Amino acid sequence: MKSLLRNRKALIGLAIIAFIVIVAIAAPLLTHYDPTARTGRPHQPPSAEHILGTTRIGQDVFARMIYGARTSLAVGFGACLLITAVGTALGIISGYRGGKTDEVISFFTNMVLVVPNLPLLLVLAAFIGQASPLVIALILGGTSWAWGARVTRAETLSVKQKDYVKSAEMMGEPQWRIMTFEIFPNVISIVGINFIGSVIFAIITEATLEFLGLGDPRVVSWGTMLYNAQKASALSVGAWWDILTPCFALAFLGIGMSLLNFAVDEIANPRLRTGNHLKRWSLLIRSGEGRL
Amino acid sequence: MAFLLRRLAFYLAAFIAAATINFFLPRLMPGDPVRIMFSSAGTELPPESLQALKLTFGFVDGPLWQQYLTYLGSIFTGDLGRSIKYFPLPVTSVLGHALVWTVGLMGTATIISFALGTFLGIVAAWRRGSKFDVIVSIGAIFATSVPAVVTSLIVLFFFGFTLGWFPNGYAADPSLDPAFSFQYVGSVAYHGILPMITLCTVLAGGFTVTMRNNMINLLGEDYIVMARAKGLSDRHVMLWYAARNALLPTVSSLAIAIGTILGGSLVTEVVYNYPGLGNILYQAILARDYPVIQGQLLIMTATMLIANFIVDVSYVLLDPRLKGA
Amino acid sequence: MNQPLLSVKNLTIDYIGEENDFRAVDNVSFDVAPGEVFGLAGESGCGKSTIAFAISRLHKPPALIRKDSQILLAGRDVLDLDSKALAAFRWREVAMVFQSAMNSLNPVLRIEDQFYDVLRTHKGMTKAEARERTAEMLRLVDIAPDRMRNYPHQFSGGMRQRIVIAICLALDPKLVVMDEPTTALDVVVQREILQRINELRKQFGFSVLFITHDLGLMVQFCDRIGIMLQGKLVEQNEAEAIYKTPQHEYTRKLWASFPSLHGGVLL
Repeated sequence: MKSLLRNRKALIGLAIIAFIVIVAIAAPLLTHYDPTARTGRPHQPPSAEHILGTTRIGQDVFARMIYGARTSLAVGFGACLLITAVGTALGIISGYRGGKTDEVISFFTNMVLVVPNLPLLLVLAAFIGQASPLVIALILGGTSWAWGARVTRAETLSVKQKDYVKSAEMMGEPQWRIMTFEIFPNVISIVGINFIGSVIFAIITEATLEFLGLGDPRVVSWGTMLYNAQKASALSVGAWWDILTPCFALAFLGIGMSLLNFAVDEIANPRLRTGNHLKRWSLLIRSGEGRL
Repeated sequence: MAFLLRRLAFYLAAFIAAATINFFLPRLMPGDPVRIMFSSAGTELPPESLQALKLTFGFVDGPLWQQYLTYLGSIFTGDLGRSIKYFPLPVTSVLGHALVWTVGLMGTATIISFALGTFLGIVAAWRRGSKFDVIVSIGAIFATSVPAVVTSLIVLFFFGFTLGWFPNGYAADPSLDPAFSFQYVGSVAYHGILPMITLCTVLAGGFTVTMRNNMINLLGEDYIVMARAKGLSDRHVMLWYAARNALLPTVSSLAIAIGTILGGSLVTEVVYNYPGLGNILYQAILARDYPVIQGQLLIMTATMLIANFIVDVSYVLLDPRLKGA
Repeated sequence: MNQPLLSVKNLTIDYIGEENDFRAVDNVSFDVAPGEVFGLAGESGCGKSTIAFAISRLHKPPALIRKDSQILLAGRDVLDLDSKALAAFRWREVAMVFQSAMNSLNPVLRIEDQFYDVLRTHKGMTKAEARERTAEMLRLVDIAPDRMRNYPHQFSGGMRQRIVIAICLALDPKLVVMDEPTTALDVVVQREILQRINELRKQFGFSVLFITHDLGLMVQFCDRIGIMLQGKLVEQNEAEAIYKTPQHEYTRKLWASFPSLHGGVLL
């Protein structure tokens, strides 16, 4: 944890995420506009009254952006919890129990991995019709756990060999206890990495699904903002604020999460670090105190 | 060899799994599956055609397993039904055309971004800690973390609309007829630049980071140290000892990334109105053209599996430890 | 001794951390005569491998060789060589055999290519010339020359180690540094390899810096031995003296911890 806070990437990433979360929570304080109400004339460019302009049907873009943050974050974290929970559970179970259980779960996992994700989601969503954010979160959770499962399984296989696991087995602890209290805490770094990666994935995919028209257009989220702007031909009409706002919001969040993700990767594997952990060394070389 | 055969068997199983998903989806939704599947047909479809469609998709009288086998039979004889939106065009021909565009765009973008990303990753790893490394690593993070949908829109906005350097959509100038003429091919290339830039940006970052990480993870290996001890040039060690070995896990991660590549290319096609599989799927979803939607899943899965297989073959060629197996 | 081949003087090597430094090698000095086998013994982490690496200047940051250190090979200070001279120096004057040769060979290159790259770089040999030389070297270590187109994974551990030794001798170096060359092999193979190295040494006249934690093995194989403890060279003497009359407390402790399985004839 401490090394996380010392890592510059992590700090910037966390700051960005925290900023977005705070803005989302404080939405009513930051704007008095109702994001779904028609509060202005259609497609107004940014002005003093509407900081980021208005949409095709006159809604305030700024309000939609900050209220939309709530939905996007909620779906992102919600789906991710599901993805991580399922993936971790299956990974640990198949990794620890081995044998037939492992074969079955692994086969199933590899199958899910190899069927292309987005097309599958699209087909599912098409059959479901207009998917509310909750449904989207559920579909995401149900289809995207495979990568996490595989990675967690690999980690479990190496932890399984450790002494404390062997001694717990010899003492006769039941399997479920070993998996929960011995294995799980020791694969937590992989679970953490998995978690962060899944949030990014969930948020992006939710936005993409909604952009493609599979969400509920009445909901306010960054994805539906993109969808509505695209349908209103915002680009061709020149209403750049309408479509670029959700774009930059998503990009900003994406970058924040990615920075955090890479920082965690670096801490798990210190060799991957970029940056100046060699500062003292360089100073000594330059002053002639030593050489390689 | 045994390795490749096992992979093939696995892919076949995966394909059947996709077909199975197709089979069960309409049957699991609330309501009459036949009504759901062909709801968009309305009253326009002549009854014999409707009957033929039902047969293709396994909606026959009989127990479930019989319906399932009927459906599998249709697929493996190449009958994916007819599109409702583009009736009476068979699904295979609707998808066939689009497939060419998608494979072209996706294939080229994958090759370019793999080459570019791998190269940048190699150099960044070898010059670890240098300014180059920092810039490339951060740049790669930015490129991969921005969603494909956002990158496409931003690229389109800046280069297409604002600067007007490139056309705003389509695969080629709509007024031209497809032909192997310079004009047409030129137009295709011109129209392809923006989607290509978008896709490459989205993909190259991932390859850069993967290759860099793989290189760094093996830089401490004994054979690298021995190579340096041999007095071989830095470049020789970097290429023939480090990169050549780091390529193996990078290529296997390519296999896993193909799903993401397909997804990204799908989105890009929609934004740029590119007539590939992604766009067709999008239109089909809007029109609730289920035969096409289901056909899509099969074709896309098949594409993924073939691409995966190509990667498997490359891996066997690259790793001498597998050649004998 | 008159004109030693290798002369290490006041060698101090630190690992520079973000806040503190770790002194891996502390003011170590020793000499190795031409044609001599000098052993460096000590437990893991005592700094012996660090010294081995330093001779060919293989260290990477955050390792740092302090300024008053000197490593003289045939009179030239290795630490002063510029990059071109260093590249020429490596493998020609000093060659290295690493611990567990399982990993010293590049898994994706054929054996003949791993000879060729060093023969071409240093001697400008053509492929045909290199193949001849490779066959010659492989015969020296009892590996069939027609196997040179095989890949490393097609050989056993002991054979791979012998191939590495063959590559080491390809340029006829003056010093061969061996860092735990037989630790990962079983005792029979170990003995065969060491015997072969000894014969080759007598034939070609190179010196050996032999690094291991196995003191018993060392006493049979080396002429002189240095004992290292936590970065310092605590005792240095003829092999027999180290065996019969160890001076330093630590040396005695090392002997005490060995069950004597090595009752064999001195090589």
